[in-house]
Amino acid sequence: MSEKYAVRNIKLCTKDCLCLYVCPTGATNTENSIIDVAKCTGCGDCADACPSGAISLIPKEYPPQQPKAQAVISAMNTLLRSKSQQEKIAASLPGKLAIAIEKSNRIMAEDLIREAGYMLPQSKNTIEFLKLILVQDQSQEFPKENVEKLLEIFNKEESEKMSNNKTLENLMEAFAGESQANRKYLAYAKKAEKDGKTNVAKLFRAASDAETLHALKHFEVAGKINSTADNLKDGIEGETYEYKEMYPPFIEQAKKEGNNAAVMTFTFAMKAEEVHAKLYQDALNNLDSNQEVFYYLCPVCGNIEKYVPEKCSICNVSGDRFIKY
Amino acid sequence: MRKFKCTVCGYIVDEPNGVFEDLPSDWVCPICAATKEEFELQNEGLRSKERKIMSKVEISSDMKEMSPLEISALCTNLARGCEKQYKLEQAELFIDLAAYYKKISPLAENSNLNDLTAIIEKNLNEDIPNASAIASEAKDRGALRALVWNEKVTRILKSILSRYKKQGGAMFENTGVYVCTVCGFIYIGDNLPEVCPVCKVPNWKFEKIEGGRADV
Repeated sequence: MSEKYAVRNIKLCTKDCLCLYVCPTGATNTENSIIDVAKCTGCGDCADACPSGAISLIPKEYPPQQPKAQAVISAMNTLLRSKSQQEKIAASLPGKLAIAIEKSNRIMAEDLIREAGYMLPQSKNTIEFLKLILVQDQSQEFPKENVEKLLEIFNKEESEKMSNNKTLENLMEAFAGESQANRKYLAYAKKAEKDGKTNVAKLFRAASDAETLHALKHFEVAGKINSTADNLKDGIEGETYEYKEMYPPFIEQAKKEGNNAAVMTFTFAMKAEEVHAKLYQDALNNLDSNQEVFYYLCPVCGNIEKYVPEKCSICNVSGDRFIKY
Repeated sequence: MRKFKCTVCGYIVDEPNGVFEDLPSDWVCPICAATKEEFELQNEGLRSKERKIMSKVEISSDMKEMSPLEISALCTNLARGCEKQYKLEQAELFIDLAAYYKKISPLAENSNLNDLTAIIEKNLNEDIPNASAIASEAKDRGALRALVWNEKVTRILKSILSRYKKQGGAMFENTGVYVCTVCGFIYIGDNLPEVCPVCKVPNWKFEKIEGGRADV
């Protein structure tokens, strides 16, 4: 969800002033009745408290506009042209009625063009339009500075949006990198232990844990940790993708290449992910249950069971090697 | 028993309170003031609902081909978009820009209200049904919404012009002329409906037209 801020519709405001009482920063209390955007934290308490529904929360960033079919745009523009023609005729005629007809046609024209792709002022279409008139219209009276000012505002908004998105992208990239480093150093630590290089093994283990700290923090800052129910759903989605879509072609490819070790590690993982997805679903269904559950992990293939099996159903390893959680 | 429905606001005239055709020719819808012509017999579909694309003749949607007045309408539309978001600075900039384009738009020469009637007929018979068919095909309900309002407001303009031809300036001599600032519906009379008969917005969104241009 994008960041929001509060706005007051002065026509609906009945001056009950509850918004002044509840605002934690004083943003609602201004001499011109416009809520101070710089102070507003977007908490929404004023909107909830307002008895007249005069305050609403609006997003700082708007989603991209719905695409419009070229045929619709052309048809709407044909009608727009006609409404502008009628406005032009009415504008040349005297009387109250002519004024009303002129206004009416302008309002219809606005509505048509809005539905022809110009709904949101800060959308790409508008920016293109402004750029075009800037190079096209060079007459003396043309309010060039207005167009430049608008472009400056919209470009600034756009670049802020881009930089926010870029940081999010960077956080997720760093999360992926740190996560991999964590596992990689653990693998190196095991190798060092095997080789009797205890000091190096210790360093790798410490570094591996350090990367875990980094990865967890990056993931948290990126806002990817949600409610436990949502996290379970995310887990189900990820595991399901892996066992249904990711691993089968990997296995096929490894078979083709005659890489039996890869076939085996992919197959174990694929079968284990399917079990994980089911266990996540099971946990989601029983989220509110207080009954304690134990899980047993197969240290060879990653299978997880809710009881100690005689043998692992995926890799056949003996049940007594399972690790209890 | 026949029922006649107003194609602008949906008001229904029930027979046998009288035969619809016997209503006086200057009778208008009590809600939105549409003329008798804008009523249709219900369930018989006097106006075929079937929409056919009459022509797909593409007019260029290139901005380079837009007239100054069309650009002005684009700018006032964008100004409204800014106002709705409480971006008053941007709204002002667009309003200025719109005023510039309105100012440089050449005035129509030797035109009269009859010219409007001809364009309105073409809108109702051709442009709007055609655009509606295309929007239906594209499943563009936003465009269809705009076209539904557009058709109704265009019908009201037609009604007003046909009354004006018969009654002249007398039709609004001692009464108010209002324009709905949301859809463009025009109301001439003393009993402004609570909500707009076309777009259903509350009537405080109507603008009362005061005075009048003597000459342009």
